[in-house]
Amino acid sequence: MANHARADIETALRARKLDRTLTTALPREHRDEAALVAMDVPALDACLRGGLPRGQLSEIAGPSSSGRTTLAVQAIAASTRRGEIAALVDTFDRLDVASAAAAGVDLDRLLWIRGQSWGPASDFALRATSDRSAGPDGAINRALKALNLVLQARGFACVVLDLADAPPAALKRIPFTTWLRVQRVIEGSDTACLLVAPQPLARSAGGLTLLLAGRARWAGDADRNRHLAGADVTVRVVSPRRRVDGEVSVRATANDSR
Amino acid sequence: MFAAVYAAEGSSFETLLAVARDFSPRVDACGAREVIVDLDGLTRLFGDAKTIAGELRRTAADRGLRVRVAVAGTRTAARLLAHDRAGITIVEPGDEPAALECLRLELLEIFHEPHEPHEPHKPFEPIPTLRRWGLRTLGDLARLPGDEVAARLGQPGVAWQRLARGEDPGPLVPSVPDERFEQALDLEWPIDGLEPLSFVLARLLEPLSAHLERRDRGAAVLHVRLHLVKRDGVTREVHERSLQLPAPMRDARTLRTLALLDLESHPPAAAIDRVVVAVDPTPGRVVQFSLLARPLPSPEQLSTLMARLTALMGEDRCGAAVTVDSWQPGAFEMRRFSPGSGIRDPGSGGSEVRRIPDPGSRIPAVAIRRFRFPVAARVTVDRGTPIRVTSDRRGLNGGKVEAHAGPWRASGGWWIHDRVTSWERDEWDVTLSDGATYRVFRERDTDAWFIEGVVD
Repeated sequence: MANHARADIETALRARKLDRTLTTALPREHRDEAALVAMDVPALDACLRGGLPRGQLSEIAGPSSSGRTTLAVQAIAASTRRGEIAALVDTFDRLDVASAAAAGVDLDRLLWIRGQSWGPASDFALRATSDRSAGPDGAINRALKALNLVLQARGFACVVLDLADAPPAALKRIPFTTWLRVQRVIEGSDTACLLVAPQPLARSAGGLTLLLAGRARWAGDADRNRHLAGADVTVRVVSPRRRVDGEVSVRATANDSR
Repeated sequence: MFAAVYAAEGSSFETLLAVARDFSPRVDACGAREVIVDLDGLTRLFGDAKTIAGELRRTAADRGLRVRVAVAGTRTAARLLAHDRAGITIVEPGDEPAALECLRLELLEIFHEPHEPHEPHKPFEPIPTLRRWGLRTLGDLARLPGDEVAARLGQPGVAWQRLARGEDPGPLVPSVPDERFEQALDLEWPIDGLEPLSFVLARLLEPLSAHLERRDRGAAVLHVRLHLVKRDGVTREVHERSLQLPAPMRDARTLRTLALLDLESHPPAAAIDRVVVAVDPTPGRVVQFSLLARPLPSPEQLSTLMARLTALMGEDRCGAAVTVDSWQPGAFEMRRFSPGSGIRDPGSGGSEVRRIPDPGSRIPAVAIRRFRFPVAARVTVDRGTPIRVTSDRRGLNGGKVEAHAGPWRASGGWWIHDRVTSWERDEWDVTLSDGATYRVFRERDTDAWFIEGVVD
């Protein structure tokens, strides 16, 4: 009986061309390497079963110092190393060029779109003003428009939108349809779109969510010789369709010239 | 048949070229005061070769030029004869070797003369050699066995011998007159705003684009001149914008979009009553795509994208970052994003090698999120080490220092005596009780603390 009802519903959905939402209509797993953007971190790529899917919106979420930027820059570096071009929509202008270069990013192949350079929430002047277009909301809106332009241009293998420093209130004000629209823009393209945020925002059905937790790793046992050796990042991979789940630890090293 | 027209010294080359173009569009400028005219098809208009040559001389004389005219079946023979003989010389096709038989060997130097008057004249080296061989005329050289000449003088010698026989080294390549790629439109009523202007630009750019395509040219620079009418209706001024295009392009829609995006950022101050669009032409782009390299966005797409992003985010906010040779913290430069330039195609085997970052180890490097303007912080210090960091910035929670490393003393730019470009500070890496790791520093001259970035 239940099977008959289910079959009727599926038939009705197919008639209205809404069958994409059905689990039976799920695309096959991404076995093709060309359909994935590898991160060039063997343990993580194994956990992701090859990398981030192209034509899908994936996201990296975690608190400050959890390794979000490290993994985003790593994805860009891996992409540019393969001769592809990448774009970074840097909402609050936070990219450190030297550390990106040290991570292996071919800067000539990275289109860097810099937002306004104010703080994580706002400074006093911005708090005083009621004009949202001048504050974080305006910066996020511009970043989303820039993301849309880059995705529509096509040809970029990896496009990262950095919202890591956006205040939670401003993130909540982003309509959820924004992410559906982004998903529709990249559907069928070779672009892997990556969203970096303090919490999962898009929850795309086809993309992956990487939930991060990390701690700094120190070397040296005395004040005189102690230095930042790197970070231990725990990545929990969550897929809404439960096809790629798992947890992996990634060790990042501090590439310090001091 | 070809006519060589050789003007007397001091003649105007432009006038000579204009005289030649009055007779035929197939004209080749081959010296500072010499042109070749292709006479094919002119006999029905002017008459036989002698009549044409006479008409050429008469037209040139009307414009103040004294010229020699030689008509022959090949351009080489016509040139040699024009240099050797005054007045009009006519040689029927096939009679060139006989006509050139007794001409001086030194006449070959005309093929070695510089085309531009300012270029220095270099002596034609083989003449003394040929003289030593006892050769005096072109006929002497023409009669030598070709293989013996090739054995002694190589391919250049063979080429000289062919010239001496009056043979052309290649077909005539007509000189194309400089064309202006410009379109203008006078409007009956002044227009205000960019939306109506977009229709006008489309109307101007489409024929301009077609013209560029016919000539296999692309636009290197796009000039838009808008003649403005002030409110009083009398005062006029010109609003001029020039766009440097990253690659030669001639797509009308792309050019219109780029012009409009630029005008959005720099709008005209008054209504427009005349629109002029001009381009600086450059040879068309020939693109060979590779099966091995991943396709990149075309220059047209990239230009449009960059123009849209610049209009959205502001000047100098989009592009490619470049590291600079400096120890100044956070120093970088921005430049135009052009991923296709200088990239080595893995399948081409070309010699151009560009620096590609070392793939290195598969261990990611820790990245820093840098505050472009360091955030002022309050730091409690105990025995020279920070024990608590707080800030007024929302989002930077601050807290007790759980781990720290430092200080690293850094200074630079002190020789410039400029507070903006000089720095002298002690840097610390600190992990706070909220779990976040920051890079903080103390300015040594002011004793003020700042948060430079977050290790993330």
